[in-house]
Amino acid sequence: MAIRFRELLWELIQAARRRAPKGVEPKPDSVATPQGPIQRVLLTDTVSRTLFGEYAAHRKSPRGTEEIGWDLIGVRQGDAAVVLATLPAGEGRDSSSAHVMFNRAAQGVAGRILRQESRKLRILGVAHTHPGSLRHPSSNDYRGDVDWVAYLRGAEGVFGIGTADAAPNPDAGISWQPAPNVQCLGELCLSWYALGAKDRNYRPLPVELTIGPDLALTLRPVWGELESHAERLDRLARQLNGVRLEVAPGHQKSALAVTVPLPDDGRAIRIELEGKVVRYRLLTPDGALAADLREDRVDVGVFLMLSELAAR
Amino acid sequence: MDFRPLTETERKHLITALRGNAQDGLAVLMDRQTTSFLGTAEEVPDEEVINAIRSVPCHY
Repeated sequence: MAIRFRELLWELIQAARRRAPKGVEPKPDSVATPQGPIQRVLLTDTVSRTLFGEYAAHRKSPRGTEEIGWDLIGVRQGDAAVVLATLPAGEGRDSSSAHVMFNRAAQGVAGRILRQESRKLRILGVAHTHPGSLRHPSSNDYRGDVDWVAYLRGAEGVFGIGTADAAPNPDAGISWQPAPNVQCLGELCLSWYALGAKDRNYRPLPVELTIGPDLALTLRPVWGELESHAERLDRLARQLNGVRLEVAPGHQKSALAVTVPLPDDGRAIRIELEGKVVRYRLLTPDGALAADLREDRVDVGVFLMLSELAAR
Repeated sequence: MDFRPLTETERKHLITALRGNAQDGLAVLMDRQTTSFLGTAEEVPDEEVINAIRSVPCHY
């Protein structure tokens, strides 16, 4: 039997709550437990596999000597930061062997997509890699992070550092933790820290695993479309109410589908972004009508259709 | 009108919620029938989250 997203998220939150320290009275779902400082980071097994898997794949890629990273999306639960999704840096990242700046526009749109299902999801922090064996954020990392965490709820963030410096482990294929805040798999390590807006240094953050999804994995097949259209999609989402973005089956591969509901009559404009192709349709209660519109700029296309429909 | 002292847990929750309201802008929720303290809102506004994502600094 298929499990729905909301049910899955609910179960994850309940599982995290069960693992929180006792002595706190239960609260209704709509009410948050007051939060203290982050004491541990809880990764789902899929998130952990994503981080190690994409890190390993990146090292084998043509840009493998450059730094790479991910946004960490999730919820706060008790003393834990629960990571439920990873947003990749993207092909449009600016990176070298000494720095990485994510394609933040695409990550912003991806954040909007994830939050369509749960408005409790938020950015918890960032993981990025170092080319050498520095298993700690650098002083330059600190300068950016300490200002940035001031904008996060709780004014505190989670930071992971990836390195490829682990000693060979005889138990190949099985991860291990040489320290409470360090995960290793093969030669790869992820070291975890927390930083508050008033902290003078990062503090080691114990890492734990639980069973669960990476909610952003479904977006990976359309990440190219997200990067190509991010700024215009973000503008649409801010300008129009009720815009919905989702991954849908395309003609050759998965497509990024955008639905803009029209008021009152049950109709909607639907745009499918698949590779370089942009398809426009008018959804009506009687079925879908293909629009004869060739416009690569998705926001311009939507407003052209709205204008055409308003004139009728 | 009935007055009673807060339990230790209630007192801690209220203080933390008031601190969260002052420092982080968390909404403090009130029971609409009894006006008693309910906690803080857990949902985060879209623009707050998206702005945080779009302002992730460069890492080195």
